Amino acid sequence: MATISVTELHKKFRDVVAVDNVSLEISDGELVGLLGPSGCGKTTTLRCIAGLELPDQGRIFFGEEDVTFVPAEKKDIGMVFQNYALFPHLTIFDNVAFGLRTRKVPRAKIKERVDEVLATVHLSGLGQRYPKQLSGGQQQRVALARSLVTRPKVLLLDEPLANLDAKLREQMRFFTRSIQRDLGTTTIYVTHDQAEAMVICDRIAVMFSGSVDQVGNPREIYTKPVTERVADFIGLANLVPARVKSLVSDCLCVLDIPELELAETITATHEGQLSTGQAVILMIRPEGTSLDKVDAETEKDVNSLPVTVKTRTFLGNVLDYRVETANGHVLRVEEGPGKLVEVGAPALLSFPYKNAWTLLVDMDKTISSS
Amino acid sequence: MKHNTRRHKTSVGYKIVLGAIYMFILAPQIIIVLVSVNAGQYLTFPPQGFSIKWFVEFAHSEVFLTTMRRSFILAACATTVSVALGIISAYSVVRFGGRFRKQLRLFMLSPRLFPAVITGVALLIFYYRVIGWGTTSYWGLLFAHVLVSFPYVFLAVSSQLYNFDLALEEAARTLGANKLRTLVKVTLPLNKAGIISGAVFAFVVSYTELPMTMLLAGRNLTTLPMQLYDYIRWSFDPTGAAVGIVNIFLALVAVWITEKLVGLETLRW
Amino acid sequence: MLGLKKKDRLVEQILASRRVVFRCFCRYALILPVAVFIVVFLVIPYANMVVTSLRPFLSAGRIGHGLTLANYQKALADPYYLKVLGTTVLCGLITTATCLLLGYPIAHHLAQRETKHKGILYAIVLSPLLVGAVVRCYGWMLLLADNGLINSFLQYIGLGKAKLMYNFFGVLVGLVHIYLPFMVLSLIGPIQSVDPTWRSAARTLGASGKRVFWRITFPLSIPGIISGSVLVFLLTVSSYIGPILLGGYSVMVTPMLIVQTILSGVNYPLGAALSFVLVGCIAIAVILIFRATDKLLKGVDIYEA
Repeated sequence: MATISVTELHKKFRDVVAVDNVSLEISDGELVGLLGPSGCGKTTTLRCIAGLELPDQGRIFFGEEDVTFVPAEKKDIGMVFQNYALFPHLTIFDNVAFGLRTRKVPRAKIKERVDEVLATVHLSGLGQRYPKQLSGGQQQRVALARSLVTRPKVLLLDEPLANLDAKLREQMRFFTRSIQRDLGTTTIYVTHDQAEAMVICDRIAVMFSGSVDQVGNPREIYTKPVTERVADFIGLANLVPARVKSLVSDCLCVLDIPELELAETITATHEGQLSTGQAVILMIRPEGTSLDKVDAETEKDVNSLPVTVKTRTFLGNVLDYRVETANGHVLRVEEGPGKLVEVGAPALLSFPYKNAWTLLVDMDKTISSS
Repeated sequence: MKHNTRRHKTSVGYKIVLGAIYMFILAPQIIIVLVSVNAGQYLTFPPQGFSIKWFVEFAHSEVFLTTMRRSFILAACATTVSVALGIISAYSVVRFGGRFRKQLRLFMLSPRLFPAVITGVALLIFYYRVIGWGTTSYWGLLFAHVLVSFPYVFLAVSSQLYNFDLALEEAARTLGANKLRTLVKVTLPLNKAGIISGAVFAFVVSYTELPMTMLLAGRNLTTLPMQLYDYIRWSFDPTGAAVGIVNIFLALVAVWITEKLVGLETLRW
Repeated sequence: MLGLKKKDRLVEQILASRRVVFRCFCRYALILPVAVFIVVFLVIPYANMVVTSLRPFLSAGRIGHGLTLANYQKALADPYYLKVLGTTVLCGLITTATCLLLGYPIAHHLAQRETKHKGILYAIVLSPLLVGAVVRCYGWMLLLADNGLINSFLQYIGLGKAKLMYNFFGVLVGLVHIYLPFMVLSLIGPIQSVDPTWRSAARTLGASGKRVFWRITFPLSIPGIISGSVLVFLLTVSSYIGPILLGGYSVMVTPMLIVQTILSGVNYPLGAALSFVLVGCIAIAVILIFRATDKLLKGVDIYEA
């Protein structure tokens, strides 16, 4: 069983804490993403798991085996680096065969396996070329082939698509995912591209400043982010500071929004323990709101506030509005192309309870809601 | 000097000045080549005709051939040791130097910071009064040559190593290669250029070394530069020029190899 | 589930420190042979030479015990020695200035991206370095001698002879030729790093090519000028082969004096003292130059040499 278990990982470089108490459980065959902005510690975590760095504290297990202190060359892993790290002085064939040669696989078998894996990545026949003769996309596939030919227990990918142009990146996402599915290799995928993580990963661990804010499947992360940082990093969000007025049930609560100076309160969904009077953040995704005429009827289980439309942008498939509340707070709204409201006109912003989400205030408040 | 208002680089005067300076740089080498095939004893204007007799003289000169052979062998030995020392010092300074990298680099280059003559004097006194070799030891001369040539190997190898992408070594490790295998299969082959161009420079530096060698080489250890030096002071016979051609040829080969491997533009002290 | 016990933490620390120890070992093990080599063949001989310079000189080849400053007194007070030192420094200054004058256009030319055939031009500039001082000086001797090519040409066209060798002029020509490549190499880097967009900006502001050069390119290349000049000065002042071949004994410089003292007079203490006086001169000159330029240059970063 190739499960990965990371417990209380710590890693410091000089005075900078790169990884701060990271714990993660990954099941056999799962593709888990480490997602976060640069410097959040995702690459360092990956390198600790790979055995390229030695953690200061914590444990890493592959299945039942403690591999915390096992160096990379003794682990059964495959790794793809951001710049591919193809050996420039070796042919594609020799690059891919490298891992097999170090494991002393017999020559005939090597040829068989290399040809097989090159066919899988659609690069048959290019075995005698050198890396610099290949395009970026081809190099990336060679790097993937090289890491998979040894049939490793664990596959580690460090922003493997970062150096490709947008369209190629999209194609390669699906390609990489399908190969991983076919082989069933337990995989960790580091990326800063949230769209990529959402598409490929079974589960995502969102990291900031060395620690994991949230682990969950893409849907959970998107609809129920645990912290402001996560909400802000994944997709677009309107984040408004609020205070819990009362708890309606274990999934609904009533919030006071001081900033919006509302006479009424907002009812939002929540999960987990909230207490009355607690400071929280209200999150409303732009596509979860709608704009109507000022005097429109309010439906059941829907919050609404009066706003003024400030800007309107036509983005092709949606209309992007920025609306201003009575005391100047700006919110973003995404509406279908049919819903045209005039700029400068007053309107009613409404969003159902289920589209309003309560999350906790970050310990270190580095994101300000806008 | 005329300047047109757009780009003074293309003015004729500028081109003439540049050309003159390049000619100045090439002058003595060109003269040596001309003299070596000159029919007459002295180089006069107008030239006296073509002849290869000086090369024949050279080929028959026991002294020149012996000293040339000695210089070659000495340079080869010095280069071998220099390459070994240069590689391990470059590797340790670039990889393990840490905070002291700059100082260590200076330390490695220090033999070239002192005048060759004075290092020769220091070594002479040292060999005579401390070690007891005097000027009779081949080892003494060899180590002196290694001392002044290995900094070139260090420089060339450390420059290339500094820009070496560590991800390549890490990739090898993730593929199961231990430290030794990584070194042999990945690091060294990819740093060949630095090693070779450093070795080439080290060889030429040793082959042409004079002030230090003059002080340290006893009677049985005369090198080619020493022999040539004596010769040109006391005779104007162009045989010396024929000998000099070998040096010019070596220099051109060295420059060509360096250009092909690392590109001359990348040389930085 | 996987709690960390105190024993585990200790094991962690031991294993972690093993790696650190291995790294330290590598660092020292690899660098040790080289460090030992340099210490034995450079540091100790120089230290020994310091001591030797302080010993009394008895007669050719014989050195007494005890310490004395007599050698330094002689080296620094004897008018002849001072004159030689003066000649040496003068040679150094004139050579450096000439190398700067001739080297800057070449370096500027090579630093331009548009220059074609850079490989060949670099080869021209660098190959003399690898030919060896003896061969290069030999070439000059053939050109400059009384019966050499130039004089032969002058006679042919009826201008009579000129004394070009065995004098200051000959020595300077040789020295400039030998050390010009060093100046060029030192200058190329700094000139190249002058961002071409600054020049374009100046031109859009109305500056002519000449003005652009003097106001922008030149001032920004001053650090290169300084490091190149220091290098050339240092090398010229230590030069032996050039002066002795092209100057004979009519131009006496300190390195020649040192060799003479050592080989003919077999006076190690005095030779050693003279050597350190020369080294001291170089050090002082270098420090003075850097001090002076620190004051002159404000707002221009000094590249580390």
